[in-house]
Amino acid sequence: MSELLSRVQEPIPNLLDPAIVQSIADDVWTSLVGDGEVLVPLPVPAPEVTVSAWVQITGPWCGAVVVTCDEPTAKALTECLLRARPPVVIEPEDVADALGELANVLGGNVKAALPGPSTLGLPETGPTPPATRPDDLCRVDAQWRGQYLTITVQGAVPAPHAERNEVPL
Amino acid sequence: MRALVIDDSRAMRRIVGSILEDFGYETRQAGHGREALDVLEEGYLPDLACVDWNMPVMDGLQFVSAVRSNPAYRSVTLMMVTTESEHGQIVRALAAGAHEYMIKPFTADAMRDKLALLGLLPQEVTL
Repeated sequence: MSELLSRVQEPIPNLLDPAIVQSIADDVWTSLVGDGEVLVPLPVPAPEVTVSAWVQITGPWCGAVVVTCDEPTAKALTECLLRARPPVVIEPEDVADALGELANVLGGNVKAALPGPSTLGLPETGPTPPATRPDDLCRVDAQWRGQYLTITVQGAVPAPHAERNEVPL
Repeated sequence: MRALVIDDSRAMRRIVGSILEDFGYETRQAGHGREALDVLEEGYLPDLACVDWNMPVMDGLQFVSAVRSNPAYRSVTLMMVTTESEHGQIVRALAAGAHEYMIKPFTADAMRDKLALLGLLPQEVTL
């Protein structure tokens, strides 16, 4: 199914400029992460271990908006999001929730910039999902507080356990 | 004044809740629409409900429809607080009975302006 979608849909570079994603991210960082917090569009080397959060977009274009960073950066982002009333201890579920909400807000605004109508899935977190088609990828490589962070808008990410839903030929 | 913040993200509930508390609101939180209806059925009647759209169990649009269909909750002002920013979605929410619409991300200033428009900004908060 995802192969079929990838075959027929317009690749994301034809629909979305990375500058738009950067502009959305700038707004999100200022509003959610904090005044004066900047996502700098200068890439730094990727860490060995990363975590990701993403939301699926389903519509004329199908894919996902994925936020990826390392675990300490995800925890620091969580502390910023919870700045008003941080819990005494930041639990892993707090980090998953906060990174997921960042992906959700980025994804909602990316969806609005794409041809519609489209629907937005609920946030998911986990190991970085692979980009299945290099030509259906819009990528912003950036750094926050000097640490690696990427936002990718990538076509037709297979849903977790998608193979269970496949109809045998 | 009392507010019910409904969002499946705990981080977002804390952000919205803390902004409202800074404006003098007493707040409660719910993780989805069904949980929020349970809060209302307990007898907690807020002046304002801030409602996310995409949530598990019961989404924000279903919650708005449920609240608007119950005359006992007529006094509750409903404000969607969501990433759904297309014009058609805003129209759907307003047609279902939402009074205001706030698109994420937003600032505390934007929330203050919306509350002022709704007449729900405590008088001690300056514009």
